[in-house]
Amino acid sequence: MTEKTISKKRYRDNLTGWLLNVPYLVYTVIFFLIPLVWAVWLSTMNWNLMSPDKIFVGIQNFTGMLKNPKVIASFFNAFRYLVPIVILCFLFGLFLSLLISSLPDRIKGVTAVLFFIPYLTSGVATSVIVRYFFSYNSSFNDFLRGHFNLDVSWFQNPTTAFWIIVVLIVWKMSGYYALFLLSAIEGIDSSVTEAAAIDGSTGFHRLTHITLPMILPTLTTVVVLAAGLAFGIYTEPYLLTGGGPNNATTTWLLEIYNTSFTSFRSGEGAAMAIANAVQIFVTIQLITVVMNKLNRKFGY
Amino acid sequence: MKKRSAAKTGILIVITAFFLVFSLFPLLYMIIQSLMPWDQVDKSVVLLQPTLRSYQYLIGTGDTADALMWIRSLINSIIVSLPTAVVSVLVGLCVGYSVTKLQFKGKKLIYQSLLFQMFFPIVILLVPRYILIKPLANHYMGMILPLCISTWAIFMYINYFTTLPNEIFEAAKIDGLGELGIILKIAVPMTKSVTTIVFLSMFMTRWNELMWDMLVAPDIKMQTLNVLISTQFRAMGNFPGPMYAASVLLTMPIIVLFLFASKYFKEGISFMLK
Repeated sequence: MTEKTISKKRYRDNLTGWLLNVPYLVYTVIFFLIPLVWAVWLSTMNWNLMSPDKIFVGIQNFTGMLKNPKVIASFFNAFRYLVPIVILCFLFGLFLSLLISSLPDRIKGVTAVLFFIPYLTSGVATSVIVRYFFSYNSSFNDFLRGHFNLDVSWFQNPTTAFWIIVVLIVWKMSGYYALFLLSAIEGIDSSVTEAAAIDGSTGFHRLTHITLPMILPTLTTVVVLAAGLAFGIYTEPYLLTGGGPNNATTTWLLEIYNTSFTSFRSGEGAAMAIANAVQIFVTIQLITVVMNKLNRKFGY
Repeated sequence: MKKRSAAKTGILIVITAFFLVFSLFPLLYMIIQSLMPWDQVDKSVVLLQPTLRSYQYLIGTGDTADALMWIRSLINSIIVSLPTAVVSVLVGLCVGYSVTKLQFKGKKLIYQSLLFQMFFPIVILLVPRYILIKPLANHYMGMILPLCISTWAIFMYINYFTTLPNEIFEAAKIDGLGELGIILKIAVPMTKSVTTIVFLSMFMTRWNELMWDMLVAPDIKMQTLNVLISTQFRAMGNFPGPMYAASVLLTMPIIVLFLFASKYFKEGISFMLK
């Protein structure tokens, strides 16, 4: 090939490469970069989304958050949601995957798919179901009153309201994470398990010494995914509790939405979103560091 | 590999069945209640006289002010979700192929930008994106455009293309196929399983989107089914039957779609891990 054809080919390669990425790049500029800069700028403003004048307020939007009980509640609720959701998703996901992997091959696939179905349901539909199921006159509450003399106002009690949302999310996600873990368990080389069986490793010993270490990278993925998910809770508290009672179930997303689009304090909303993002970033980093240490211990 | 007694397998199946009932109970409950006579909704879980009254109410034989709103919202959901799924697939395919199989300047930059976006908390962009898209409020474009490209979808393709040997694509080039020909004749057929997963997942995610659609399309004529149920939830709280029926209409299409495509999942699921 001559010098000329090589440079021509290189030019063509560059051109096709960029052409294939044009839609992505345009999207990134319009819906990512511009809003990103805008968000930082907006967080220093006092603006109601409509009036022509925007007032520069510096870091007031950020300092104001420290005195806002809803923001403080969102901050702590993020961790209150995170801990049980990560732990329960992890445990149920692992349990389901181990259960499915021990089934006869013929029904494995079908079972995994059936457990996956809750993941497909909209949070709106499940909220409708749960709302009616726990309503005062439902057969469930009638049953509790009739047989146990229990009268619970499920959504007026901060503890039950909070746990209903947690259970709803764990119910929805467990089958999805189980699918990940199942594919990792199925991927374990059978020579490893056979060698372990010869050495007398079975049952619980095999689980803790062979299976769990072998699927550790996938377990890490599940923990990080579930943590990220816990920060994105919105639909369930929005429809079931509105964040109450007494801010017990509120989340960042709910408060950011209300501040920006119900009270029209867009600057404050933008500032809250930045604070939330920092919290997400730091938390996920911490979890990743811990999980990476654990992974390294097992030689990954 | 391992031999197990039939009894042990039987016990495992019983345990699985128990958890499966628990896992699917809310959805079964929803379907049963949507078919209940209106005076018995939420009063029982045994369906003695199934009736379609709740569904008839939704399709306009009821006495609503806006007879077509439920049907229209279902169509809106499709109008919004379908292009989103198609665009995610196309962009994922193009970016995934170019980043893994082509040599061009700036490739690394694109990859870095993807990684950055993947782990970036999207919540920061909410308010500015809304201000940006406000001129397109109550318009399908305003609902579709900001959510039609997904870094997750792109990474699915990147991961899949990395597992395909370069020789296939090089051989095609030597045979005289152009880039477009390679994409259409080789990349598209080889990524069928990933495409199925990406298409369905994006369709489902968009179908179940609440916050963005509520923001940009407050007009009842533009609302998706997901939004309509949540806005009618409080007003129609005393009509649980139709709310259950609407929830069935919301969830069943997605479940049926996934069940039809479930055979592709086994093949593709391992790529979701990366």
